[in-house]
Amino acid sequence: MAGGLASLAAPGIVRAQSQSGPLKLGIVFAKQGVWTEQSKQLVDGVTLALKHKGNQILGRDIELLWYDEANPQGAQQNISKLMYQDKVFAVVGGSNSGTSLAMSSVAARAQIPYLCPGAAAAALTGSDCNPYIFRTLTTTMVASRALAPACLDIGKNWYYLAANYAYGQDIYNSMSGLLKQAGGKELGYDKAPLGTSDYSSFILKIRQAKPDVVMLGLPGGDLSTFLKQWADMGMKGKIPVACPIIGNIDLWSVGAEAATGYYGMPWSFSNPQNPQVEKEFAAEYAKMHPGQAPCADKVWLGWYTTRVLLEAVEKAQSVDANKIVKSLETTRINDGAYDAGYRSWDHQMLHPCMVFKVKDKITDKWDWLDAVAQEPKQPSWENLNALFGTEQEIGCKMPPH
Amino acid sequence: MLDIIISQLANGLVLGFLYVLLAIGLSIIFGLLGVINFAHGAFFALGAYFAVSLYSSLGWWSVILAPVLVAIVGMVCERVLIRYLYGKDPLLSLILTFALSLFITALIRLFWGAGGIPFSTPPAFAGIFEFGAIFLTRYRVAVLFITVLLLVALWAFLTFTPYGRILRAGSRDPEMVEMLGINLPRVLTVVFGLGCLLAGAAGLLAAPLLTVTPDIATVAIMPAFVIVTIGGLGSYPGAIVAGVLVGLVTALTVQFAPEASAASMYVLMALILLIRPRGLFGERWERFE
Repeated sequence: MAGGLASLAAPGIVRAQSQSGPLKLGIVFAKQGVWTEQSKQLVDGVTLALKHKGNQILGRDIELLWYDEANPQGAQQNISKLMYQDKVFAVVGGSNSGTSLAMSSVAARAQIPYLCPGAAAAALTGSDCNPYIFRTLTTTMVASRALAPACLDIGKNWYYLAANYAYGQDIYNSMSGLLKQAGGKELGYDKAPLGTSDYSSFILKIRQAKPDVVMLGLPGGDLSTFLKQWADMGMKGKIPVACPIIGNIDLWSVGAEAATGYYGMPWSFSNPQNPQVEKEFAAEYAKMHPGQAPCADKVWLGWYTTRVLLEAVEKAQSVDANKIVKSLETTRINDGAYDAGYRSWDHQMLHPCMVFKVKDKITDKWDWLDAVAQEPKQPSWENLNALFGTEQEIGCKMPPH
Repeated sequence: MLDIIISQLANGLVLGFLYVLLAIGLSIIFGLLGVINFAHGAFFALGAYFAVSLYSSLGWWSVILAPVLVAIVGMVCERVLIRYLYGKDPLLSLILTFALSLFITALIRLFWGAGGIPFSTPPAFAGIFEFGAIFLTRYRVAVLFITVLLLVALWAFLTFTPYGRILRAGSRDPEMVEMLGINLPRVLTVVFGLGCLLAGAAGLLAAPLLTVTPDIATVAIMPAFVIVTIGGLGSYPGAIVAGVLVGLVTALTVQFAPEASAASMYVLMALILLIRPRGLFGERWERFE
């Protein structure tokens, strides 16, 4: 609280960075609560990226400070502590939209770069954008654009089941717009309360409506519960289900017998078209965690975000916040086929989106997905820019910086 | 239209009975011990987790073992914590058991991890049961029968067996029971264990239906409280009627106004309490008046 008030009184404190000693990098990820598993994966990715640089940048050691992300208020307090007290040069954090939006406002006041790997809420780099926040994960709008063609190929009569909060509503809004554009028909739209534990009554309704595709707007835990009950009621394989953004853990917690559907996911270890660098990264992760689940999408998100950050700092040859921001806007990663990086006017990561389908027959313990589409098929900065939305669509008005 | 309503009602009935099993344990603990057990959801979660862990190694024996293990944990908690709450303000028991619930959930997270554990319906119960408009999974029908069986067994135990009579007498007049030479503290420990056994059994039965995460403790506790409140604190038939009512109302709300389905049981509770504040079958409980 005091930190918050102090930050209101003295925006943009100029920090006297010590010229020797370790550089501090802050991370804010959940150590308890529902986001613990995803957070652990994100942190694994961050530490792996640091390891690849020998835990050093600009000739100095990097000291990693990891604070908890229990809820939006707690996350705000912790990022304040990192930025004002611990004097980190950047923060990587946020496993969900709620905490990320809260932390973004702190970063804007403290004027320290804050990179968010795992939140999909449009507002983060849209209406609530600011010069110090950078986001890696795709928004629901873009993920929907990537998934829609595969679903429209199956059929044009869709039934929507979405959790009744921002994320679910975002998915419905994006997908229904795309369906209307393609001349499709909405057979029904059920808003399920967030955290519904029994979907059997919803499934009865869907069964009666007989759609071609069931479009789901459910977050991880709810999606797993739905899929389990969907399979129990004999609906698996009868009507395809789809969801624009999920993570590996959402399917793994359902079990191989119940897993089914078409999904947008940022990355999968099993995609044969991954660039060589990413294949090596996945192999290294597997070696570090023998007998455990392979590299999940969230590990990649943490790793990729930190990779870009370290490249940008290297390029800027400075840990001054504004120099890092400028560098992040122009740093590009090219692992073989295309440039990827944060767009300068909204700080959204431009990277191709993947669409996966659960295999009809699952034989491996962890490898359940086939890649069915990549959007755009031949990525280039221009078509990525178009896919991720125009300035008018995104609604980000960043002050000059 | 009639078809889908019938299938929703049938579905709601099955749901309702699972809620009843959960609520009965809570009702017994309150009715016979005067303790509001907020940790009931945590014991439900424990039942699910024990079932998941034991099924892979012990198969069908886990069905007996999981609830019994939960009962043992419950009896240990009673010995160490709960017995200090007897005869005290019910608010104290609410606070202590709330803390106990958080503690147990944290332990679950520590031992089993925070991620969801897949647990499928046993193959013997896989498949669908269709009868006219009624469309249910075989497993849910099995849950319905098992729950009814457990409820009948419980009622018979409490009504006809000497031990059941001791339990009921001990809650009405503890001094007299002790003067008759019965070791009351041990009896009360068993009662708490019995309530936890039922919660564990509900967790075991629910495990194939849900994604098994530590958060199912919170998923379970609220419907249990609502049902006990609607039915009347301490009332056995009340819990049954209320549980079925909540199941039916939730299913019908999903059909006609899905976004309100989570809130529907609270609206039902508010309406019933306005008309009858003690719940449908609630008794006036002397010790709190």
